[in-house]
Amino acid sequence: MAAGVAAWLPFARAAAIGWMPVASAPMPTPPPDNRRKQDGLILLNVSGQKFQTWRNTLERYPDTLLGSTEREFFFHEETNEYFFDRDPDIFRYILNFYRTGKLHYPRQECISAYDEELAFFGIIPEIIGDCCYEEYKDRRRENQERIQDDEDSENQNDMVPPDMTFRETMWRAFENPHTSTMALVFYYVTGFFIAVSVMANVVETVPCGTLPNRVKQVSCGERYALAFFCLDTACVMIFTVEYLLRLMAAPSRWNFIKSVMSVIDVVAIMPYYIGLVMTDNEDVSGAFVTLRVFRVFRIFKFSRHSAGLRILGYTLKSCASELGFLLFSLTMAIIIFATVMFYAEKGSSASKFTSIPAAFWYTIVTMTTLGYGDMVPKTIVGKIVGSVCSLSGVLVIALPVPVIVSNFSRIYHQSQRADKRRAQKKTKLGRIAARKSGGTNAYLQYKSNEVTASKAAGQALVCKANPMFDTHHNHLLHCLEKTTNHEFVDEQTFETSLLEVSMAKHPPHSPSLSSGSSSQGLSCCSRRNKRKSFNVPNSNMTGGHRNSIQELSTIHIRERPITNSRSSLNAKFEETVPLNCKQPYITAAIITLPMPPVTRPEDDGSASSPDYSQANIVRVSAL
Amino acid sequence: MHAHTHTHIHTLNQSQTQTLCVAVNMGLVMGTFSMQSNKQDRTYRKDKIDDDFELSIVCHRPEGLDKLEAQTNFSKQELQVLYRGFKNECPSGVVNEDTFKQIYAQFFPHGDASTYAHYLFNTFDSAHSGSIKFEDFIMALSTLLRGSVREKLTWTFNLYDINRDGYINKEEMTDIVRAIYDMMGKYTYPALKTDTPKQHVDAFFQKMDKNRDGVVTLDEFILSCQEDENIMRSLQLFKNVI
Repeated sequence: MAAGVAAWLPFARAAAIGWMPVASAPMPTPPPDNRRKQDGLILLNVSGQKFQTWRNTLERYPDTLLGSTEREFFFHEETNEYFFDRDPDIFRYILNFYRTGKLHYPRQECISAYDEELAFFGIIPEIIGDCCYEEYKDRRRENQERIQDDEDSENQNDMVPPDMTFRETMWRAFENPHTSTMALVFYYVTGFFIAVSVMANVVETVPCGTLPNRVKQVSCGERYALAFFCLDTACVMIFTVEYLLRLMAAPSRWNFIKSVMSVIDVVAIMPYYIGLVMTDNEDVSGAFVTLRVFRVFRIFKFSRHSAGLRILGYTLKSCASELGFLLFSLTMAIIIFATVMFYAEKGSSASKFTSIPAAFWYTIVTMTTLGYGDMVPKTIVGKIVGSVCSLSGVLVIALPVPVIVSNFSRIYHQSQRADKRRAQKKTKLGRIAARKSGGTNAYLQYKSNEVTASKAAGQALVCKANPMFDTHHNHLLHCLEKTTNHEFVDEQTFETSLLEVSMAKHPPHSPSLSSGSSSQGLSCCSRRNKRKSFNVPNSNMTGGHRNSIQELSTIHIRERPITNSRSSLNAKFEETVPLNCKQPYITAAIITLPMPPVTRPEDDGSASSPDYSQANIVRVSAL
Repeated sequence: MHAHTHTHIHTLNQSQTQTLCVAVNMGLVMGTFSMQSNKQDRTYRKDKIDDDFELSIVCHRPEGLDKLEAQTNFSKQELQVLYRGFKNECPSGVVNEDTFKQIYAQFFPHGDASTYAHYLFNTFDSAHSGSIKFEDFIMALSTLLRGSVREKLTWTFNLYDINRDGYINKEEMTDIVRAIYDMMGKYTYPALKTDTPKQHVDAFFQKMDKNRDGVVTLDEFILSCQEDENIMRSLQLFKNVI
């Protein structure tokens, strides 16, 4: 019921007196009419902007925040008003909803901000009025698509479950060639062979000069038949192997077989096998020649390699109705004009328009403004009809084309946007990570300050430098340090400490001290690399990739130049306790998800190995 | 040669006329179709715009608050509350029959309240102007909620007396009762039978028509109602509605 109508309830009840004399039974007693206090004004202070309204206005909708007792939580006694720390611009629309009963959606507001405000005030968005509902739904859908795109890309890049079977890995490699080098190699190899196969098909038919005992030209395919046959065999072999591998790796084989790409694959390789089977049977050799035409379908395999092709295909699919309309209207027009043309030209002598179907060709050529000129009307009426035909042809074809074009443009831009967003997100997260690392450096700075300050008894210095929040935060991090008996350090200190440790433990590995140190450094780094890549079970198979690992705290954020993967906020960190030798162990502070240490290379010597032998413990990181 | 060309021209004419007929046919069909739809669209849009324009011109302001307070039995605050509600639904200051029906129908979503709303409208609109101003609204409410028993019963009599001739006959009463039953809707318990209104009307006339002349006059009506305790009690039901 609309809000304003609630004010007419007294009228409706009064009008009920009209039923009284006719009533066949006594009336029920009215509900107790607790004498409401006089309708008062309520003051709503939203981030400084004051709104006022009658209490009754708000109570029209008792299942929202403002209409129920929930608003008492926001009552501010000193100023005797209700204070909300929310956006006043959007609040305007919410308050207008109480007043008029209609919720409007302002076009200039961000859809997620608006949704949040609605959720906060307990108003469901379905009651947005018809005037604004369409716009709201469109914006909402766009937003959802964007979020979905981001999630999908995230899922693709990061969320590799650690226990993927070989089959799943293979499928993932097929679908997304950027996941590993093997997949990339496979991708390029198949692409190369597709190109080779298509080129071979084309070159086969080029005339290649004459044989000594023949007069006419022979095609290259006949001259070098064996070479082309070998090439074809090789390509088909590769395609067959690829198809079988995909079939094996597909999560749902039936779905895979039904998919378009699979059909294209089959059509591309079937002619070869059919040709093998029926070798020299004269009757079917004609049909065999036709089959060779299907070899050209191999070119469609390129659509796995090109996103643009896929978009085009998808556009055509989504514009199926427009295309159908185009086809239908064209057919109608062709039949009409062909008929008219035929009867117009029937009288003229030696007319090429021998039948209506013969006139179809003329109509098509004219309507698409090709105008070959092999059939021309000779009579005046025929010429008039011909001109009308060509004019209308332009119109009929021009009508559905913009629809298809706009569809294509929309889909193309969507995919562009998705890619652009992904790239933007990388840089955005990188910047945020840099800011955060600044924050952690602040703590280290504070600690060093504290050390020097306590030495110089300049405690006040430190306190002055840091605002209140930072002081509390630093104290918190200090507590954490004390809890775990580790300390926060920075990158250089950690590397040098590792170097020291490795040098202390592996003197025989180094041929000479200098080179040993360098090689140790290298091996250290490489070991660290390996350790990183090994410890992260989600690691991509390409070495040196950084991936996200679970972290307790983003203490040390490293920003290495990253090729494929995203710089994530939770970059890895390694810390160690370099200084305090009393520590019984050196922990590279990495959370290790359960991983058998047996695959760890030359780490055995390090003191950390006994820890890692218990591989099933999730190690507490962050020192 | 002449003859040949003559026949030549003759055959041309035949096929020519054929094609011309086809072409003209097509053209006629397309042309009339497009013109037809054009015309319809235009007239429809014109009516709609005119309608809205007319409605927005009418605007009415009620008399002063003090005057209304003197004329009715409401206090100033009550008048304020009532006017705010009135103005919210009808910003132009008057209610026409359609809006009135719409508002009343919102209170009875189960059934069809339009007929009863129509009778109500006619009773509210004492001046028969086709629209209810705030003053009419307030006067009627004042009578219904704060008036004396006689005033209330007179108002109800005017409601039942559809043609305003001073008598309620069986047809009028049947219309009213049927309108009331329409508000109930289809899904009732026990299910509505077709002659339920008629039986109801007969019972009413049994009670009200004292001299058995087939019509009920105002005095008969007031007398009979005052005899019935239920009716008396129910008239006082909505005293404190505002």
